[in-house]
Amino acid sequence: MNLANIDIRLFVVVGIAAMLLLFISFLLIFIFTQRKKLQYQHSLQALNEQQQNQLIEAAIKSEETERHRIAEELHDEVGAILASSKLHFHSIKLGCGEYNESIYNKARELLDEGIKKVRNISHSLHSSILQEFGLNEAINHFASKIAHESLIEVTTTLDHEHHYPMKNDISIYRIIQELLNNILTHAKATKIHIISEYTSQKLIMKISHNGKGLTQQRFEELRFEKNGLGLKNIQNRVIFLKGELHFSQQAADYEIDIYVPIN
Amino acid sequence: MLHILQVILDWSEVWALFIPASILLYTKQPAIHKPVVLYIWFAMVINIIIDIIWKFRMILPIGLSSNNCLYNLHSVLTFFLFSSFFIGLKQPFLVKIKKTLPLIFIVFLLINFGFYEDFFDYWQLSSRLLSVEAILLLFYSLSYFLFKVNENVDVNIFTTDFWIATGLGLYVAVNFFIFLLYNELTIHMINFAINLWNVHNISYIVFNLFIAKGFYESGKH
Repeated sequence: MNLANIDIRLFVVVGIAAMLLLFISFLLIFIFTQRKKLQYQHSLQALNEQQQNQLIEAAIKSEETERHRIAEELHDEVGAILASSKLHFHSIKLGCGEYNESIYNKARELLDEGIKKVRNISHSLHSSILQEFGLNEAINHFASKIAHESLIEVTTTLDHEHHYPMKNDISIYRIIQELLNNILTHAKATKIHIISEYTSQKLIMKISHNGKGLTQQRFEELRFEKNGLGLKNIQNRVIFLKGELHFSQQAADYEIDIYVPIN
Repeated sequence: MLHILQVILDWSEVWALFIPASILLYTKQPAIHKPVVLYIWFAMVINIIIDIIWKFRMILPIGLSSNNCLYNLHSVLTFFLFSSFFIGLKQPFLVKIKKTLPLIFIVFLLINFGFYEDFFDYWQLSSRLLSVEAILLLFYSLSYFLFKVNENVDVNIFTTDFWIATGLGLYVAVNFFIFLLYNELTIHMINFAINLWNVHNISYIVFNLFIAKGFYESGKH
């Protein structure tokens, strides 16, 4: 074997190795750069999400504080003034005919209704039942109030066995409240059924009704409309709870499923 | 044992193609993969004939006992199909060059086989053709990655075309010098040339595995 043959052999081997190494280095640099860019994008996205969640949390907390303040003022101040007006009204002596008496009675009825309304608004703004007796009782109470006021059949099957109070019960309660109010206002339902179930991982709440409800696609569309403030609030609370919300149509009924992780 | 291994490697240009072909049978590929799919079927037919000629060259008529022109044909088809694959990806990067290269390759074919070499040469394949094909395809492969580096990153960087471009890049990078010097080696060091062709065969298996991975990933989406 002559020297030229050895040279050519060496040249081929070195050439193959060099080309292979160059391509692999190029490939590794490409993968490394892409990974870095991907990591940066992920961290940026996580930061955005964190900021968004902090904003939602702040908004929800300030909303709750404001509701609490208005509820207290309505109950303690407006309520007290109305109650005092009622007492004063009772002490009025009438004796100038039937006409005046009927006006007096009408005014008393209106005053009673006003006191009742203020109390209802105060309770819906700040649920003391939720704080004292927990989520299940608050939902039951709200459901019976709706059934009483609007002659809709509202039934509940709530998980009392595995139920335990959660930090964010107020947000879950507000979601249920908003959803039920929407069903009452828009769906024209005659029957509503609320189910709750606690698993080791999450709380599952299902609201089904026989009215004209929303599908997931319609919900997504409405969320971005200007007037969909209620739906936006619901979505914000769901984001805050790191939960999930699904709208679906099951045969003749519509169903809303809420999944909230247990922390 | 070594003999069996050598037989497996000798036929690898055929059986390696069955790996992506088998995935093609149960997955539907997007339109951009059409040139690669065509390559698999064309290459399978050509390589089967190549290996049959090689194994039965002793009993075949003298005019049919050379497979060198089939290697040339394989090389021409490989270049045009893979260049159309890269052009079909519509990456807005070096577009004019990528579209001009097939025309340059046609001019090269006409000049080379018109004046310098015989496409149907009985004794040797065209080292010049295969090495030009390899270097041009390496350019396509590298331009793919250069564009991707500047592009906004998707969630998955290991896309279907990534596997195909990587497989092809590895194959042509390894084989450029083999193709370039193969004719010289067959004249001066026939045994070394035969051994070196095993390196080509191994890289061809890897190339097909990468294509198969690309087809598989595309079938999953």
